[in-house]
This record gives sequence, C-alpha cells and structure tokens, in this order.
Amino acid sequence: MKHTTTITTLLAASTALFLINCKGGGSSTSGGGTSGGTPGGDPLAVEFPPELIEGTPKPMNVPNLVQVPEKAPTFLVPKGTALLSKGKKVTSSDDNPIIGTLDLITDGDKQAGEGYFVELLDGTQWVQIDLEKSAAVHAVCLWHFHSQRRAYHDVIVQISDDPEFKTGVTTVYNNDYDDSSKLGKGSDNPYVESRFGLIADGKGTKGRYVRLYSMGNTSNEMNHYIEVEVYGIAQ
Amino acid sequence: MENTPSNIPRRDFLQRATAGVGAGLVLGVPNILRAADAAPSKKINVALVGHGKQGQVLFDAMKNIPGLHFQAVCDIWDYNRGAGVGHVYAVEKQKPKAYADIDEMLATEKGLDAAVIATPDFWHSPHTVKCLEAGLHVYCEKMMSNTIEGARAMVVAAEKSGKLCQIGHQRRSNPRYRFTLDQLINGSKICGQIINVNGQWNRAVKSSQDIAYKPSLTIKPEVLAKYGFKDMHQFMNWRFYRDLSGGAISDLGAHQIDIFNWFLGAVPKSLYATGANSYFKNREHFDNVMALFDYETPQGLVRAFYQVLTTTSAGGGYYESFMGTEGTIKISENSSATEIFKETSPAPKDPTVPVDPNAKIPPLSWDGLVQRGLLRKQAAAPKPKTEGVVDSRVSAPPEGFALPGELNKPPHQPHLENFFAAIRGEAKLNCDARHAFLSEAPIYYVNPSALSKQPIVFTPEQLSV
Repeated sequence: MKHTTTITTLLAASTALFLINCKGGGSSTSGGGTSGGTPGGDPLAVEFPPELIEGTPKPMNVPNLVQVPEKAPTFLVPKGTALLSKGKKVTSSDDNPIIGTLDLITDGDKQAGEGYFVELLDGTQWVQIDLEKSAAVHAVCLWHFHSQRRAYHDVIVQISDDPEFKTGVTTVYNNDYDDSSKLGKGSDNPYVESRFGLIADGKGTKGRYVRLYSMGNTSNEMNHYIEVEVYGIAQ
Repeated sequence: MENTPSNIPRRDFLQRATAGVGAGLVLGVPNILRAADAAPSKKINVALVGHGKQGQVLFDAMKNIPGLHFQAVCDIWDYNRGAGVGHVYAVEKQKPKAYADIDEMLATEKGLDAAVIATPDFWHSPHTVKCLEAGLHVYCEKMMSNTIEGARAMVVAAEKSGKLCQIGHQRRSNPRYRFTLDQLINGSKICGQIINVNGQWNRAVKSSQDIAYKPSLTIKPEVLAKYGFKDMHQFMNWRFYRDLSGGAISDLGAHQIDIFNWFLGAVPKSLYATGANSYFKNREHFDNVMALFDYETPQGLVRAFYQVLTTTSAGGGYYESFMGTEGTIKISENSSATEIFKETSPAPKDPTVPVDPNAKIPPLSWDGLVQRGLLRKQAAAPKPKTEGVVDSRVSAPPEGFALPGELNKPPHQPHLENFFAAIRGEAKLNCDARHAFLSEAPIYYVNPSALSKQPIVFTPEQLSV
C-alpha cells in the first residue's frame, strides 16, 4: 500500500517472512473538517449526515494524519454563495463504476451504508462535476466514505474552465505529499474520513468544472465517493 | 478510462506487485508463501458464494494470488451480485456468470474447482455441503455454522467427498502468528510455563450500529423469505439474530478462542460464561459476553478469560495474550497492538525438566533472540516512582519487546494462498474442517452457558464430530 517502504529482513532459522515497515514522512497544513474560509463571510450551511460506523477500524499507516474533529467545522463564505452542484452531471476516469452510479455523487444524499456510494477502480482516478457555467468557487465539500474510519490517498481538488483540465487549472487542495499521483506535491494533510467530510477552500477560483482525484484508501485499493458539493457564486 | 500518469493497468500492477513480493522472499519462508508466489501450475476456477462485505474482503485478498479465475458470482442481492461482477471484471477484464441461487449455479457451471463461501453463518453449512457434494473444494468463512450440528455436517461432508475444506480462521496462516507459536512459544519457550490466557475484542458502540442500506435497494419479500430472512433488516443485520448466527462470541470471539486452543494445543475442559443485552436491548444476541475456560495442557493447568464487548473500544481493541512465568506475548492481527514482555524476575529454570530433543531450534535467551533478529527490544519502561508506593511487593515493570516485522499482505491472503496451494497439492491445509471443528466446538456452548448461568464441564461427545 502507498507510503510504505518495505525492507526485507532475514530471520535465521525462522519459518516466517516479515517486512519491517519504515513509514514515509510528509509536510502538512490543513486537513479534514477544516475551519476557515473567507474572513468576515457567512458560515457555510452544510448539512452533515448522521454518523454510522460499521466494524472494527483498520490501521491507518499515514503520516501527519488529521483526526476526526469533535464538532462540525465552521467555514466562512462570501454572502450570496450557493450550492451549485446538486444534480449536475458527473464524469469520471472510470466510466464504468464497480459499485453504484456517478449520479450518486451529486444526488444530495450523504448517508453512510450500502447503496449510497460509488466505487471506482484502483489507481489514481478522478470524478468531474460540470457546473454548466463558470462560477467563483468558494468551497468544495467532499465525502468519500464514512461508515469506516479510513483515509484516502492523494486527495486533490482542481478547478478549471477547460473540461480536459489541460489549461487554466487551479489546484485548491492537494494532500499527495509524496507526489505519487504525479500531479504535483501537495502541502495539505491526509485526513480521516468522517461524517464531516472535507471542506476544501475554493478561494473564489473561477471555473466551470471541478475535478477531484484520489488513489485508493487505507482499507482497500479502491476509490469511493458518496457526495460532492460545490459552493460558489455563478458568474 | 483516461490514462492518467499513475494509472497502471491493473494486470500489470498485479504482476509487478507479485514479482515484488516474490523478490522479497527470504530463507526459511514457509511452503504456503513459497507456493503462492511461484508460477501457478494450474489455473483454478473459483466461484464466489456471497459477495457482501466479508466476501469483498476475501476477494481483495484473492485478487493478488496468481493463477485464479473467478468464474461465477452468487449472491441473492442484486446489489452484491453487481459488485461481484464489477470486482471480477476490474481484475480479469471479463465478466463472471452471476447467479442468485447456488443450486442453479452448481447445476449450470462446468469446470469449477473451488468455492469461496462468505454467506451469513446459517448458510455456511448448507452451502459448504452442497459445494463439496458437487465436487468442489471449499473455503468457508468462520464460524463454520450457527449450530454445532451444522459444523459436524461440514466435517462429515468434507471427509466423505474427499475434497478440501478450509475454514476461515485466517490467523492460522498468518506468518506473525506462526512465527510466534513455532519460534517464540514452542521453540524458545520465552513465556516459560503459560498459566493464563487473556483475550478480547472490544468494539465501540458507534461501530456496532445497525447496518444501513438505501431503501430503493430492498430485496423483494418473497426472495428474502425463500432464503430464510423475514425482512431486509434481518438480511443486513443477520448477526443480531439467534436463528441466523452465534452473535458476537461467534463473529468476533471465535477468532481469538481459536488462537487459545491452537497455541495451547488443547481444548478446554470446562466453561462458564455470562452475557447480557446491556445496551442494545432489542437485539436477540448479547451485546457483551465474558467467558472463562479451564484447560489441562501438557505443561499444566491453564485458565483463560475472554471478553467480547460491542459497547466500548477501550482497553486495546482485539488481541490474545499468553501469560507465563517468564514472559507474556500479547499478539494481535493488528501489529500495533502486539506487545511482548519479559518478566524482570523470571521463575528459576526447573533443572528436573529435560531439554526437548525434538525442539525445532535450540532454546534461545531473550538476548539471543534479539541478537538474531527474532525479537526487537523496545525502549525501557520508566522506573517506578518510590514515592507513593502502596505496596512494597509491586512488581517492577517488565521489559518490552516486539516482533521483528509485519505481514506485507492483506490478513486473509496467506490463508487463501494456503487453500489454493493445497488444491494444487503443494501444501497441507492450515485449518481443515475437522481441526476447525475441534477448536470451534467449545464456542457453541458459550451462549448456552450464559443463558442458563450454568458452568459446563465438557464431555468428549460434546466436542467431537
């Protein structure tokens, strides 16, 4: 799994194979459930889903991991900011999801449990939301999967007016601290998934399309999305 | 799919990953691993029976094993079936045949070699017996059944069919566990005389909630009834119901009580258990259970305590702790919860006890084990304060040690590798149905003891097939 350097060690007279793990390091700034946004703005009115955790958590061997906040984060946005993504079309690098359908990502339902998420292939995958017209994006709220404590690798959020994301691309969030997805090294911290999700500061970046990357998670190799909400001011 | 920079085609990635594992093999690797990493001599056609959460965990472990072809997926829920088809397609780039009914699958599919069963517990025995009788080798999740009669039927069917039947006590193939038993406990005897065993699985109340589902995905009532479920809640949460499962002591406790029996090389002579619905009052099964087992082992009497709590995670999660006169090994599938302690004042060696001439390796001292890389010494514990000591007989803190490494595969993968290697004739099963039964049998009596509030002194008939 990502971020683990393995060194074999010889166990003389042993009947077992072990690997000694040396965990990689990484820089960090902010992470899941972050507070912040536009100074003097209005609190973003995000509706958080109820908590529903299943089973025993798996170890998360990720450096500088931001834990789940104890209370809902407060995030400030300019007056007039609205939810722009609900019901909007979603495309993906994996056009044939393993579980679920891409429209779940903007259907407004953020619950945990079976049937509420889409599962995409392993490796670095993206989903992209077409806001239908350019907007000043002030917040991108993201719920990958929150019925189990886990962290997704290489969470990157980009905004652009180019549907191919070849020109005019602004990265507003990036926690790929070792550049394993080869999209540039990020300075944000990996975070533990929860009902509070992630609020990425859009910083008023203008664009019609929002693209989100990930590369598996600490529980399995797959990529998941329950919901993405893009808040901004349409141009 | 766009070819993003790190989007390595899955097959290429798996081949590279497998090669990496193979390249990391070292001397003394057990046959189960060596066989699994070698080029497979024969493709094995597998049916996935049950593709819910645990079925998907097993698939995640199997997809890294070379030489498997996932030919069919069977699940009564179209949501799980679709996921199974998608998971197989992602690996093989071809879709498996999908079935809602296992009888239809077995009647239709030709050339199947093995079935991997991860259905609810009350279906384990019927599904295993059907597959064995159809000529398939079977890997079935533990518990073997929700009843001891069901488990017995699996042993009988396996031995009558001549097919392999591995039960999913995956720790039995975990190199960390095998190393601990073979090298540390039996080989170097670092625990001295093991007198007590303690184990637990403590799960937070918020991790023990009912499993939710999108109402639009509800299975038709007639389909649920056909397969033994009264409604969708029961289908999703079958672990809470007495007719469908053994509850927490079975779901969680079976893993660790199996380790008690395996490591001690014995089964308990008696049992006393207690349990209650202290929090989840509407569930049929207890939400917390505590059990005491008494063993007679070659090295003496051993008393074991086990608790499974679904109402708190405090106390270190899940582990098994073997406590002896010279040291304690607390082992867990979660490597971060594994700890080893050396008594600061170990019992003197009994000079009348002869050295075992059949020991696989000569007994090593703690320092010798560290020097040979078989143990890692942890930082010294802080010395106890002299002020405020309430009892002058308090023991000094023991020295801490750790296992020298971690498993580099999903926890279930070595056990599945062992199963498939055994099918190829390259290994012996690490947990066949008969051995699993011997270990599981006492567990079927925990709930009856707790319900009756009576101890049970086992008769041979109670614990035998």
